[in-house]
This record gives sequence, structure tokens and C-alpha cells, in this order.
Amino acid sequence: MMCPDREAELNAYLDGTLPAADQAAVDAHLAQCAECRAALAQLRAVMAGARTLPPSIAPPHDLWGAIARRIAQREARGRRRWWRERTFWAGALAAAATLLIAFGLYRGATTRLPEQRARPGWVAIEADYEQAAADLARTLAAERGRLRPETVALVERNLRLIDAAIQESRAALARDPGNAELGQLVAAAYRQKVELLRWATRVATAT
Amino acid sequence: MAADPTDLVHRAQQGDHAAFEVLYRQHAGRVYALCLRLTGDPVAAEERTQDAFVRAWERLGSFRGESAFASWLHRLTVNVVFAALRAGRRRALRVVATAEPDALEQPTEDTGGPAPALDLERAVAALPPGAREVFVLHDVEGYRHEEIAHLAGIAVGTSKAQLFRARRLLREALNR
Repeated sequence: MMCPDREAELNAYLDGTLPAADQAAVDAHLAQCAECRAALAQLRAVMAGARTLPPSIAPPHDLWGAIARRIAQREARGRRRWWRERTFWAGALAAAATLLIAFGLYRGATTRLPEQRARPGWVAIEADYEQAAADLARTLAAERGRLRPETVALVERNLRLIDAAIQESRAALARDPGNAELGQLVAAAYRQKVELLRWATRVATAT
Repeated sequence: MAADPTDLVHRAQQGDHAAFEVLYRQHAGRVYALCLRLTGDPVAAEERTQDAFVRAWERLGSFRGESAFASWLHRLTVNVVFAALRAGRRRALRVVATAEPDALEQPTEDTGGPAPALDLERAVAALPPGAREVFVLHDVEGYRHEEIAHLAGIAVGTSKAQLFRARRLLREALNR
């Protein structure tokens, strides 16, 4: 049995990590301690044995069938998810188009009211939505590489539509700042933009 | 003639299952040996081997060819095994140790030469989990303590202590 307090030292000696200054002390100890010499020889045998273990061992069963099945299952799940994404974006696109049409109809149908002052809370609400949309857009920009290219294209197409709706609504609101319904329409478009970005970010970070 | 590994990887990256099967056939033994030694359990080793190849298929896109495919797969396998070990799956099932309790009782002459491979294989499988993983990575696979500490989520000092403990236990087991 080796001297118990020499274990770390002898291992480091064998690994070649012992400082040169300490090697002479270990050599001196080994010269007069037969048990440590025997332990060192046994450790060397263990280490030499480890290096000669076969690098390859055939699995007892052919695992390819199970691996191929698992890969096929994952691919099928991926395809289902892709169709779900497509369905979602098709719906989002239709909703954005509806919003634009509704806005157009609204603008044509509403009667101009006398000039009123804008409600003071609106600026803060708009700033909140813009901040949220900007934060999500930054996250999405960092993660967009994880989305399928066709999904990215759909997201961008939807965002362009919603941005157009926002711009048009805001222009109308600027002309008629006291119109609460116009304000609600802008807020609805912002909400849709934030929802869309939130969804895309969640999908990207979960991929 | 053996298939060109670069071409196989490229084809597998394009979704070619047949090419990936050839890669599996080429590397299964190496991956299984690593999983078996790290887990000490043939059942868990088969599961981790499957996990490693499924993960490799999913991550093939991230393989850029800077290293050899074998090295990339080896590192990925170590990560898969450690993730499973951390999740605590099947730690109790150490079939080699329990199914062959006499394996460590075989007397081995102290010749100072390399330990016989089969005895050493069994003795490694019977090591306590922390010591076994460090011994396999350091003394069998040639990893450095810093790499092991990173992979296993332990301190470098712990990696060294586990290695010394593993060698001591193996020395004792092989000299009974």
C-alpha cells in the first residue's frame, strides 16, 4: 500500500504534471519506499491498460432501425409544426388584410367631427406599443436564423401590411386627433403587430 | 471501396437517410464503446448511442467540417451522456457490475505490465459514477482535466480527485 499522503503527488508524477522541483523529492522517496514503488508500477499498469482498451465495441443489437424510426418521427413532427405555422400566418395575413379593409371602409364612412384635442393618454400608450414592438423585433432579429426561411418571409410580409395600416391610421389620427375611434384602430393595429412579433419570437426561441 | 466521409456527411446534411446510415455503420462501435464506458451499463449505453445519433442528425447542419466528423460526433456523444447522467436517468442500472459480481474477484498477477483489457473493462464498469466518467475521459479518451470539468460541470480539482480515486480503486480491484 502506498503512503496515503503521497497519492496526489504520485499521480501527478505519472501524469507529468508535477513541478520539476518536486520530482527529485518523489524520486528520493521512491528510492527508499518499496510500497510506493509497487503502487506506482500498478498505477502505470492501469494507465497503460486504459490506453490499450479497444476504441470500438459493436453494440449487441443493430440500433439503426430504432434510430431511423426516431428520426422519422421527429421529421413528421417538424412537418406538422411547419403546417401549423403556415396556417397561423395565413390567418394572420387574412386578419391584417381585414384590418386594412376595415380601416378603408371606416375612413370612407365616418363623418368628420369638429377639431378636438388629442387625449393625453394616447401618446404614452403609443410609446409603450412602439417600445414593445422594438424589443420583440430585436429579439426576433437575433433568432431569425432558427426559423424556416418561408416563415421569416411570411412574418415580414405581415409586418409590412400591419405597418402600412398603422401609418395610415396615424396619418388619419393626425388629421383628426380628437377621434377616439381612430385611436382605437391604431391601438388595434399595434396590438396585432406586438402579438405577431411575440408569436414569432416564441416559435424562434423554442426551435 | 469505402465511401468518402466528407461526401457522406454532405449528403446526410441534405437529408439523405441512406448516407447517414452509412455514417452510423462507420461510427456506431466507437460511439457505443464510449457510451458503455461512461455509463457502465449496456442498456443505458444503447439508449445513449441512439440519442447521440438522433442528436447528430438534428445538428448535422451545425457541423462545418472544421474538425473531423468523428471528433465532432465524439464530443456530441459525451455531451449527450452527461446530459442524461445529469437528468439522473438509469443511474442505478449497472448491469455489468451486478450481473457479474465475480468479475472483480479474478486474481491478477502484478506484473507491472498493462492490465488485461477484459478485467480492466469490468473494473471500470464497476467504478462509482463520478470516478468512472473522469477515468474514461482522461485515461482512455485523452481529455484534459479542464475539458472534463467543463463537460461534467465540476471543478478541475474535483476532476483530479475523481481520477486519483478511480486509479486507486482500479489498482485495488485488479490486484485482488
